[in-house]
Amino acid sequence: MRSVLVLAALLLAGLALSFVVSEYTLRLLNMAVIAAVAVVGLNFAFGYAGLISLGHSAFVGLGAYGLAILTTKAGWSPWLAAIPAVAGTGLAAAALGYPLLRLKGHYLALATLGLNVSFGIVAANWIELTGGTNGIAQIPGLTLAGHRIEGERTFLWFGLAVLAVLGLAALAIHASRLGRAMMAVRDDETAAAMTGIDVTGVSVAAFVLSALYAAVAGCLFAVHVHFVSPDDFNVAHAITFLSMLIVGGEGSVAGAIVGAALLTFLPEWLRVLGEGYLAFFGLMMLAILVFLPTGIVGLARRWRRPVRPAASAPGGARPGVQP
Amino acid sequence: MNAAMSAETVLAATGITKRFGGLVALAEVDLSVGDGEFVALIGPNGAGKSTLLNVLTGLSAPTSGHIVLDGRDVTRLPTHRRIRAGLGRTFQHGRLFPRLSVVENIMVGAANRTGRSESALRRHALAQLGRMGLEHMADQPISALSYGNRRMVELTRVLAGEPRVLLLDEPAAGLNLGEVEDLMARLRAIRAEDRVAVVLIEHNMGMVMRLAERVVVLNFGRRIAEGTPAEVQADPAVLAAYLGEGAAHAGH
Repeated sequence: MRSVLVLAALLLAGLALSFVVSEYTLRLLNMAVIAAVAVVGLNFAFGYAGLISLGHSAFVGLGAYGLAILTTKAGWSPWLAAIPAVAGTGLAAAALGYPLLRLKGHYLALATLGLNVSFGIVAANWIELTGGTNGIAQIPGLTLAGHRIEGERTFLWFGLAVLAVLGLAALAIHASRLGRAMMAVRDDETAAAMTGIDVTGVSVAAFVLSALYAAVAGCLFAVHVHFVSPDDFNVAHAITFLSMLIVGGEGSVAGAIVGAALLTFLPEWLRVLGEGYLAFFGLMMLAILVFLPTGIVGLARRWRRPVRPAASAPGGARPGVQP
Repeated sequence: MNAAMSAETVLAATGITKRFGGLVALAEVDLSVGDGEFVALIGPNGAGKSTLLNVLTGLSAPTSGHIVLDGRDVTRLPTHRRIRAGLGRTFQHGRLFPRLSVVENIMVGAANRTGRSESALRRHALAQLGRMGLEHMADQPISALSYGNRRMVELTRVLAGEPRVLLLDEPAAGLNLGEVEDLMARLRAIRAEDRVAVVLIEHNMGMVMRLAERVVVLNFGRRIAEGTPAEVQADPAVLAAYLGEGAAHAGH
């Protein structure tokens, strides 16, 4: 219940900001919301099931290119095009998941990194379909009940609505037997199998869920920017998604959103640093991994409850991961 | 005398051999467990007890041999399918899911039977905790539990899956005397209520002799003796395995 309130507070903050900030900040907020959808998805794979994926951008790209190709080449409405774009990405993740998820830890990270690089190469070279490095332009925007979802403010409202639905769905999954199974798999695979959990099946489910969210983020990106190119979905973006989740707090929907927003705005706030931003970013990540492994959300939780829960208090503090 | 012969056999492993390279960890071991029977598996360190449990639960594949659970050959089934078919196991030092609360850990164990709603899962988990006298810990994090309570929560998690055969790997290790007494009382109560068969690996001989109906002794991967606790205690091969050849002769 508390996690639903935190999610609502974050979304309402975004809504309130939409009335007061500049056009430029609105655009950044839109980028943050799109990234948040992708990172809430990545949280299934990394935060819950413990699968280190450096290929998340490829799934964002698959969704975005799917929508872009179906709207510009086949003339579909973006609403209709989004359905096969998202479902196809999910199927691709399932097909890749079964062989890939035999790998663990660093090996899985490396394999998914390779997947992302491969996606970039295909997108840049399958010119008749993807337009190569020139990308695909003039992707149509969305229309809802006769109103065009055009302009940064309107789009932000739409993006926040999508994030609300997907965030609530993620919280529901977190509290379900699938959510517990994913966390059990991350905590101890052998013990998880010993409670009757199909470890491979649950890992693939987490991977597919993360890809579905990524594809929705890709569709949002395509109908917001109206243009896609291979550079929008390269490995650097995949690493950024992972960084967003770690900074915000892995294993937490609120953390995914906070991390996505912070790492979207931070480069803008620190523009004075120029190239030095990368050095700052690296040091910040290092500091967070060492001193704040549960991210900003973890810090907030510690601040709210500075002492350990009393050992005898029934129904008191909830442990570990909070949504 | 052999209880497994009279009662319906619920778990039967026949001719289990497990080689690790040149090392023979298990050689042609047979183990059958009757419905509701309490079997203890004993033997010196390195006798192959845990290896046998790993083979039974599918964590490691036998080099040869067959495992039949409830009339069904499960030799090639992965671990989770054997669990769903009625097997349950605890680990030597207890393995819980630290990111889940106590009741959520139990709910994971209860979820191996499909078709339960979320609220039914929670009710079932709380009832299991209540039966073990742990309901006041339901919402605590695993990190707040003592070692003894962690092991009891692990046992509760396995029982929540309603196994037909419960495999216990040294459940008393690391427990103090009071906790061992408590564990034994719980195990007796569980058997009275659930009619679950138990295979117990334990070094605490007092516990083995007081609980087990039948004892199977392994040494160097072979089954060297089987019988009632009293028979096994008097068996010269068992005395030799535990105390050395000389002691066995001196005892006669």
